Amino acid sequence: MSIEESILQEAALVRLAESIIDVHDEDHARENANLNGESFSGKMSKLGSEFSKWYAKNVIMPKALVEAVDSNYVYVHDLDQYVLGTTNCIFIPFGKLLERGFNTGNGSVRPPNSITTAMALVAIIFQSQQNAQYGGVSANKLDWDLAPYINKSFRKHFRKALLVLQENAPYLSDDQLVFSNKGLQDTCPESYQHARKQTIEETNQAAEALIHNLNTMSSRAGGQIPFTSINYGTCTSEEGRLVIDALLNATIKGLGNGETPVFPIQIFKCKKGVNQAPEDPNYELFLKSIECSSKRLYPNFANIDAPINLAYYNPEDPDTEFATMGCRTRVIGDRFGRNRLSGKGNLSFNTINLVKLGIENGIALGKRQVADEAGFYTALEKCLDIAMMGLIHRYNIQAAQQAKASDFMMREGVWEGGEKLAATDSVADLLKHGSLSIGFIGIAECMKAMYGKHHAEDAEVHERALAMVRFMRSYCDAKAEEHDLNITLFATPAEGLSGKFTKIDRQTYGVIEGVTDRDYYTNSYHVPVYYHLKAAKKIQLEAPFHEPCNAGAISYIELDGNARNNQLAFLRIVQFALANDVSYFSVNHPIDRCPVCGYEGIIGSVCPNCNASEERHAFRRLRRVTGYLTGDYQTRFNMAKVAEVKDRVKHL
Amino acid sequence: MNLSGYYPESINEGPGIRAVLFISGCRHACPGCFSPHTWSFRAGVPLDLDKQRELLEDMRENPLLQGVTLCGGDPFYSAEELTPFVAEIRRSLPHFDVWSYTGFTFEQLQEREEMRALLQLCDVIIDGRFVEEQKDLTLLYRGSSNQRILDVRASLAHGKAVSAPGFI
Repeated sequence: MSIEESILQEAALVRLAESIIDVHDEDHARENANLNGESFSGKMSKLGSEFSKWYAKNVIMPKALVEAVDSNYVYVHDLDQYVLGTTNCIFIPFGKLLERGFNTGNGSVRPPNSITTAMALVAIIFQSQQNAQYGGVSANKLDWDLAPYINKSFRKHFRKALLVLQENAPYLSDDQLVFSNKGLQDTCPESYQHARKQTIEETNQAAEALIHNLNTMSSRAGGQIPFTSINYGTCTSEEGRLVIDALLNATIKGLGNGETPVFPIQIFKCKKGVNQAPEDPNYELFLKSIECSSKRLYPNFANIDAPINLAYYNPEDPDTEFATMGCRTRVIGDRFGRNRLSGKGNLSFNTINLVKLGIENGIALGKRQVADEAGFYTALEKCLDIAMMGLIHRYNIQAAQQAKASDFMMREGVWEGGEKLAATDSVADLLKHGSLSIGFIGIAECMKAMYGKHHAEDAEVHERALAMVRFMRSYCDAKAEEHDLNITLFATPAEGLSGKFTKIDRQTYGVIEGVTDRDYYTNSYHVPVYYHLKAAKKIQLEAPFHEPCNAGAISYIELDGNARNNQLAFLRIVQFALANDVSYFSVNHPIDRCPVCGYEGIIGSVCPNCNASEERHAFRRLRRVTGYLTGDYQTRFNMAKVAEVKDRVKHL
Repeated sequence: MNLSGYYPESINEGPGIRAVLFISGCRHACPGCFSPHTWSFRAGVPLDLDKQRELLEDMRENPLLQGVTLCGGDPFYSAEELTPFVAEIRRSLPHFDVWSYTGFTFEQLQEREEMRALLQLCDVIIDGRFVEEQKDLTLLYRGSSNQRILDVRASLAHGKAVSAPGFI
């Protein structure tokens, strides 16, 4: 490096630091809606992450990858973690950790003896795990994992009741002393009733504490709350059903003043024969999940019956039930045989800017009458090659790490098999069970640039869009064989990304109608949020994209109106999406909250309940971004996302 | 008879997902009305046979719809012309339920033959004028607290207003 170059670099670093400390760029500070870039800890974290990115790009990453990033073809997610070899996200085997206890590093924790303790430990495990990775932490079957602790509480309550009520009881083994044993009603009716009531109360209390805990531990770098998700819905034992019921009750009730909890993301797992029809054992809980979602935006709905998920389903093993990492990440299949969820996760993903390829090879710039599909696919393959090369390069850094770098995750066997490694062993042989994913953004704008219409406007264009996604999936499948790794296609949740690509493409190509004329690109294969169409049509158009996106996808419907007042409509939409084999689904609807009287629903400029006005009282307007909720979209979203939320048309 | 608006699907004018037809024309002239632009019988577009067929087709092909809600204006001012269309909806979409808003009360509707005919085609009516002094935006499906959500069949059978189940 010449002296001039090093002076320039030093100046660039100084400017970078100043821009973080003085918040020159609000969008930069709001890149991630969960991180407050204007706070001390947020800035501290930014300083570290910005230098880490600089180091990755200037020293570590392959030149071709850096060029593809700089020229806006490819996006490397969580670039600040690249050089460290940190991995993305995980499904935590809560059942295993609770059953045998664990060590947080500062002390050991015994297996819990009550549901209260078990739920408290769930929060602690989430917290201990989340700093070992940079992405989400998820419980894929929390109802199954927690059910045994209901009985531990029940036994305590029952034995205490026997003593206090002085009821005569025969000898009762632990196996007989369970919450679901209705026979106890005959032998010791009073103690049984008392213990049952106490257990239900305790479980509801514990669930409330869990939801509060997951919203209050700002333990992640930058004062972030860990991205937690919990999946449930299929455990049909009395104990499991109580867990589900209590979690839904706590969520419906909301936080301290009744506010909607932002975390954890909740996912109700839908399965025919279990919770989808009135005769199914958990149907009532499914209806309650609809009520909850109509009030709190969660839970979302995971579809175990969708063919891609059903293929892995073993009714004997709840660990094979499709669940999500919340934002949408899907990890089930493993070419090394671990075809189940917990104990592994996604390692990293790179996203392709399909819009730029569309602009260069389509009719958008007026250079040609007909799209150059051959040129497009050649360019796409080149991008895929670079994205793939980047994933492998990063994977090699990740695989070379020692077990002790990810600390809790390996030591306690959160990542399956980690507990067998010595602190200085490399994690290579375990990480291969995780997935590497290629994501994409902006099918809609890409189609518009290529053919002048997007995939909701024209059936033929829809076919082409689907063919394009299938092409990317085939590419991933072929590369999985070639590298002998789990390589999957991802419908990228594009938060910070949705504006970045667009801004640069607009500078390069100018404003192109329907392509670069908004501040964001449309998420993955979604129908543009500004496009009017009926809900059923949107579901039918998006459903076929779920199958090729084996690293995860989500479809949304936007509801215009107070969803909590019309749960019948909500139910109808969810079941229609499930019937159309949408793998993962949710309904977006506005939840505004009046800070004066606590009214929740839709609020214009005046609260319909207490007449408080917008000018004098800031209404809290909760919206969803990238699958996560965020407190108030006007202060925590970046500009691209604010623009996207404002453009969202309601499907009904 | 004119149509001043059409929502192909909505969740705000009755339970489930519903199509909503705004039939032009209203002489109640309630102070504070949210849509005075629909008072004129000439507002909107003619709801002729072609338009009716088009709407019917649009409702038929939407698998999510549970029913239709008639809004206005006040549909009952156009009862005579509207009745054959609603009868046709009932005939060709037998799974639909029909709700209607009206500024008349259930009692008033029974006094006029043509209004009674339309009433008999409805499952539920939300009756009564909008009274500004009794305005309450937190009420489900209603604008003021004098308005009632009535089960038409039960009301006709009993000869007096009977609330729809769940809306007492």
